[in-house]
Amino acid sequence: MKQRIWYIIELSAVVLSMAALSGCAVYDAVNALSYDSNEYYLVTEIRVAAQDYSTHCDDEVRSRANAQDMHRKTRMFAAYSEHLPSNTDGLSAAKTLDEMAQGLTDRYAQPDRVSALFCKLKFGGIEHSAETIQHVLGNRPR
Amino acid sequence: MTLDDISNQLYQLVNSGDPEFAQAAAYVAQTAQAVQSGQMNTAEMAEILRDVQRQLSIINDMSRLAFKETLNSCITGLITLAGLPI
Repeated sequence: MKQRIWYIIELSAVVLSMAALSGCAVYDAVNALSYDSNEYYLVTEIRVAAQDYSTHCDDEVRSRANAQDMHRKTRMFAAYSEHLPSNTDGLSAAKTLDEMAQGLTDRYAQPDRVSALFCKLKFGGIEHSAETIQHVLGNRPR
Repeated sequence: MTLDDISNQLYQLVNSGDPEFAQAAAYVAQTAQAVQSGQMNTAEMAEILRDVQRQLSIINDMSRLAFKETLNSCITGLITLAGLPI
């Protein structure tokens, strides 16, 4: 009898906790994705490539090719994230990261000279953002 | 908003005591200085500043994602404690 009362108290705690949160938050939380090694790999590759590419910014020809390669990697990451279920925030971040890389290729597509500082700051920003995403994706439950 | 207003707000953020805001504000101020010293043009500066906004957006998205994952762990933990099948 005592065990049954304790069970009812615990069950009530679960129901009350869930009722205290908005329906959408609970739905999203319950459907949160678990760790995805492919997703983690893609964002890690973006981070490491951005680190490498930022060291070649004095070479404009090489950096133009690096910018295109980076944009391909961020497009890949955004495309991979696109059809994962319950991944609204992850997809939004992946698309924003892709916009950052797009800004770099757009700049290299213009006829005027691209400054080495601009190249370094762009790759630095991509690296920083990729690390932010990597940190959260890496902490997903296994 | 004038350039002086922007400089004043950046100065306040740099000295706000919040390391994240201070770092971001210092970064913005350094970017503006790089244009003045001829290291970058204004179009490049604008793109770098848009990247600062994009980085803030990514931080916001990832904070929400991390919150949902923590909430999921809490709900799963409570269900486990209550002895219910997950």
